[in-house]
Amino acid sequence: MILISCQHASKLLSLREDEVLPFGKRLRLRLHLMICDACTNVSHQFAAVRMALRAIRERD
Amino acid sequence: MPASPLDFTTLAEHRTYLLKIARIELRDEVLAEDLVSDALTQAFERREQFRGTSSLRTWLTAILKNRIIDVLRKQWREQPLEIESDDEQSIERIFDRSGHYIDMPTSVNDPAELSQQNDFLAAVQLCVDRLPKRIGQVFVLREVFGSDTKELCKELGLTSSNVWVQLYRARMMLRTCLERGGFGRPVMDGK
Repeated sequence: MILISCQHASKLLSLREDEVLPFGKRLRLRLHLMICDACTNVSHQFAAVRMALRAIRERD
Repeated sequence: MPASPLDFTTLAEHRTYLLKIARIELRDEVLAEDLVSDALTQAFERREQFRGTSSLRTWLTAILKNRIIDVLRKQWREQPLEIESDDEQSIERIFDRSGHYIDMPTSVNDPAELSQQNDFLAAVQLCVDRLPKRIGQVFVLREVFGSDTKELCKELGLTSSNVWVQLYRARMMLRTCLERGGFGRPVMDGK
């Protein structure tokens, strides 16, 4: 299936933080993000958390 | 190779940093102090091995990480992982039957800018501390110590799908926790 649910997309968004997604998964996620504001927001949330942890680590 | 051999003072300059990341990982002040002291002692004993190809901080962090992993492996062996079904359910509950988010996730216009705000950093730190301990420990090894999933599998004796699931849970619980505080935005009502 090319269309995935937000629940499935959330798993791919997390996996994307740790691995290079294989082509099929990357494509499905990209298509989903194009039509889904909720998951786009979550992808930005993940990015913010990652950058925040880096900031926490680097700040003296 | 550094021009002069490392002295203990140079190593100890990184103590505050090492303590900070050890505390986030371990949630145990005394243990964090112990392991940082161990790591600094070990680093001093092996100072000839520091090649200067990585930064001193990176080298020290790797030594500390190894000490931490030894301790975690031991702790986890003694206390096997319980099935944390509550956590699983709390993640499932944010989706409806068709797999859509029940509540619209808060939009973050500029993640980079948000990640510089002190309030947000404090909220992230608090929410990381509130993660179930073991999930939090795997997550902090990944995001603060910079281990990749391959390393985590090898070092902690976990399968890659297990690591992915734990990191997924950590991230979803974190965002739920951060949503409660408006994800860095002032909360408008008493929700």
